[in-house]
Amino acid sequence: MYSVRNWLISGVVMLALVSAPTIGRGANVPDSINIDPLAKLYEKVKFNHAKHISLIKDCAECHHHTTGTQVQEKNCVRCHKNSEAKKTVACRSCHAATPFSAEVLRAKESDRWLYHQDKPGLKGAYHQSCIGCHEKGKGPTGCKECHALTKAGEELYRTGEFAPRPAPGSGKHGGH
Amino acid sequence: MKRRDFLKACMMCGAATSLGISNKAWGAGSFEGYPDGMGVLVDLTRCVGCRSCEAACNKEQNLPAPQVPFDDKSVFEEKRRPTEAAYTVVNKFDDKQGGGPVYRKVQCNHCNEPACLTSCFVNAYTKTKEGAVIYNPKICVGCRNCMIACPFNVPGYSYSSAFNPVVKKCIFCYDTRLKNGKPPACVEICPQEVLTFGHRNELIKVGHERIRETPDKYVDHIYGEKEVGGTGWLYLSGVTFDRVGFDTTLGNDPIISNVKEFLGTVPMVLSIWPALFTGFHLLSTRNKDHSDHGDSHSEQEDPKP
Amino acid sequence: MKRYKAQGIDIVDSMHKASGAKKWTLKEKLFLGLTPQQYIAQALRNPFNWILAVIFAVGLPIIAGRFLFGLSWVTHSSCDYPWGLFLGFGLFGMVPLSSSGFQLGTTCEVFGRHDFEPIERLALLNGLLGYFFAVCFLLVDLGQPWRLPYPMVVAFGPAAVLFLVAWHVATYLSVQIAEVSVAFFEWIGFPVGKRAVRKIVLGLTVAGIILSTLHQGALGALFTYAPGKVHPLWYSASFQWLHFFVSSIPGGLCMVIVVSTIASKTMSWRCDDRFRNNLDKLTIALAKGASMGLATYLTIKLIGIAHDNKWAYLATGWGAWYAVEMIGGVVLPLILFAVAIRNNKVGLVRFSAVLTVVGVVLNRLNTSMFTFNWKLSEREIPHWREIVICITLYAIYITVYRFILARLPILYTWKTADETVPVTEKQAGYLALERAKPEPVGTYCSRIEESIPATHYTTRKE
Repeated sequence: MYSVRNWLISGVVMLALVSAPTIGRGANVPDSINIDPLAKLYEKVKFNHAKHISLIKDCAECHHHTTGTQVQEKNCVRCHKNSEAKKTVACRSCHAATPFSAEVLRAKESDRWLYHQDKPGLKGAYHQSCIGCHEKGKGPTGCKECHALTKAGEELYRTGEFAPRPAPGSGKHGGH
Repeated sequence: MKRRDFLKACMMCGAATSLGISNKAWGAGSFEGYPDGMGVLVDLTRCVGCRSCEAACNKEQNLPAPQVPFDDKSVFEEKRRPTEAAYTVVNKFDDKQGGGPVYRKVQCNHCNEPACLTSCFVNAYTKTKEGAVIYNPKICVGCRNCMIACPFNVPGYSYSSAFNPVVKKCIFCYDTRLKNGKPPACVEICPQEVLTFGHRNELIKVGHERIRETPDKYVDHIYGEKEVGGTGWLYLSGVTFDRVGFDTTLGNDPIISNVKEFLGTVPMVLSIWPALFTGFHLLSTRNKDHSDHGDSHSEQEDPKP
Repeated sequence: MKRYKAQGIDIVDSMHKASGAKKWTLKEKLFLGLTPQQYIAQALRNPFNWILAVIFAVGLPIIAGRFLFGLSWVTHSSCDYPWGLFLGFGLFGMVPLSSSGFQLGTTCEVFGRHDFEPIERLALLNGLLGYFFAVCFLLVDLGQPWRLPYPMVVAFGPAAVLFLVAWHVATYLSVQIAEVSVAFFEWIGFPVGKRAVRKIVLGLTVAGIILSTLHQGALGALFTYAPGKVHPLWYSASFQWLHFFVSSIPGGLCMVIVVSTIASKTMSWRCDDRFRNNLDKLTIALAKGASMGLATYLTIKLIGIAHDNKWAYLATGWGAWYAVEMIGGVVLPLILFAVAIRNNKVGLVRFSAVLTVVGVVLNRLNTSMFTFNWKLSEREIPHWREIVICITLYAIYITVYRFILARLPILYTWKTADETVPVTEKQAGYLALERAKPEPVGTYCSRIEESIPATHYTTRKE
């Protein structure tokens, strides 16, 4: 009584159900992320997540083991052979925004069993992850190529409208 | 001259010369540093030469405006050093052996036994317990001996000031940050986290651990761990240190060790010379009339007419 | 001045005027017994004064400018090269040459060699003025010279070698002022002061030896703060202070030879018989002392190189320069001194003394400036204003030196009331003195009335 048509429909439905989780998970992954927790001297970064996923494919390259995929690095595999996925995979959930504040330092040094004493802070994690890879590949490596300076940033770096005017006839008179 | 007068005079002069000449040499050699001393681990493999540290330092320490903006990379064409207007600078070194350029941040290394401190004759420098080497511009006389003594050529001097020239150097942001437990401005702004702030003893362990975990990435040496008695700012590098402007001939003795040999002779001379030369005098005038040698002069007096 | 003396004008050399029982006033003493017009006339006639005038006209405004506009206006001192000519020449160069004070003081007072007395006061003055002007150079160099007393009273850094230098130079200046004050008290007529100082002169001299040993050595020890920065041939970790101390001995003695030569030639009107007759013999004696100092210095330098095994450096360019300094400033003078002393050639001794003085100053300049930062690629060339200020300060030093030598009883002996007699043939008597035979060498208990033969004065009749 089950015609070929019924088999086909149930087959497609089953396929859809099986692949739903995978597609569904992919559907939770944002295509574009505004990285702005530390934006002060520079504007927020408009990060093209989708492009990076299609380029890198392996989530562990940036998210360590937090997405459920396993890491390949020798130093990590020692302990994290079968580590689970974590609830949040955003960088800022593990990497502190102010890694050298007195509180963070105290917490770090008082917990003698804490293994990752050398975990970078949030800003360091962003840059080391991004620049580290971009220098090997063909990504942008200049500061302004990823984020533009804010007004405060221009003032700090003495650039743009805050650039120093050339001193008139400045000689090396007794200079260093 | 009468013996009594001579002895009186000797005591006067001896007392006068020994006043204040108490040369205490600092204990060195096995000094491990201050237990609460902070430090900074500088990982040169991470630095990309963005010069944010220079910009942050300039703002934090109210330094004069630079000649070119801080995002101008043309300054790397020549090697710079810290000056009165720039407490820290970054220099670029081309690594021909395959890697890209290596950047190196230069600033005061906040030594455990600073040569500047030991050479200052008005004690203008202080090594705080937090580890910063700071100085007091109010008593600086301007002898510039500290600039001669610093093995890293760090202190700058404001020669252009006519009425208040003083030594200028990195003070670990002591007044504004370190005193309150906060990291210095350059550490806070560094995007690549080249600079890791923490207790010096911990940082040495962290540094060795980094070398251990990625041995191909680093030279197996922390510069500053032992050099000139140990410095507060420690360096890790991917290329040998002499290729990025470090002086690798310094040795592990603090600078004061060189000076101690002389300082040790001072109390010897002060105590032995008086007796030695009085002895010479007595020996050489043995057979001569003692009352004679002074009096040939003193008799040329003018009796009042 | 020779002209005036030949005319028979009375030059101040005692408390009383020749012509009467009247005393010289201070003003007259300052003008050397001439009228102001005569004094100015002789000053204007002297070509050396014209050179000095030019130097002062150019240099004094620049010195003022250094204090108004800051160090960067007059030096190229940088953060890599903090010390320049002011310290290299003015302090490090002049201090070893001024060690004559303690050396001749020791010779006469401690070792009892009173035959050196004719030249003792010149050596003491040389020492005092040298140190005083070294401090003047330091004041020009310091960033905040008004803070110079700080290490004495405000803040102490006793572990610093410079602390020792500061205290010792200050104390030693006081000792030297006291030693020269004997001549000064004679000149202004304050016998009480002179007696007081004479009482403690042995203590002063021993204090001077202690202080000099230490601070001459300490100036060398200053460079042990920068072990890698001075070239290894000029630097010795263990013996740096000895190098500086031992080289100051021939430096000071030869400076006395040089100064006494210049004084006896340019100020011969001021020198009395005792000085003139003993000068050659004393020059040779000083040369003997300087030779021993030079020989010791050469030995210690060679030991310094052997101790750290630095022989390889001699084969470099710096090694050649080192050879120039050692051979020209040490070995050659040693040989010349030996020849001259053996053959009693005073002229050769004087030439060799000049070589030694130049050699000592060159050593100081090499250590503090030329080989400093030898590893860096750039050398600092001194600013032209820095050179001008050095020349000007040195000219002021020479002027003050000349001023004092012309007045105080240093090159001549102050005559007391026992000798100066109101006789009308006074002028003839003085001229006769000049033509008299040279006196025999003074014994160590020489008294003035014995050195002037009895025929040349008559006793005072009350």
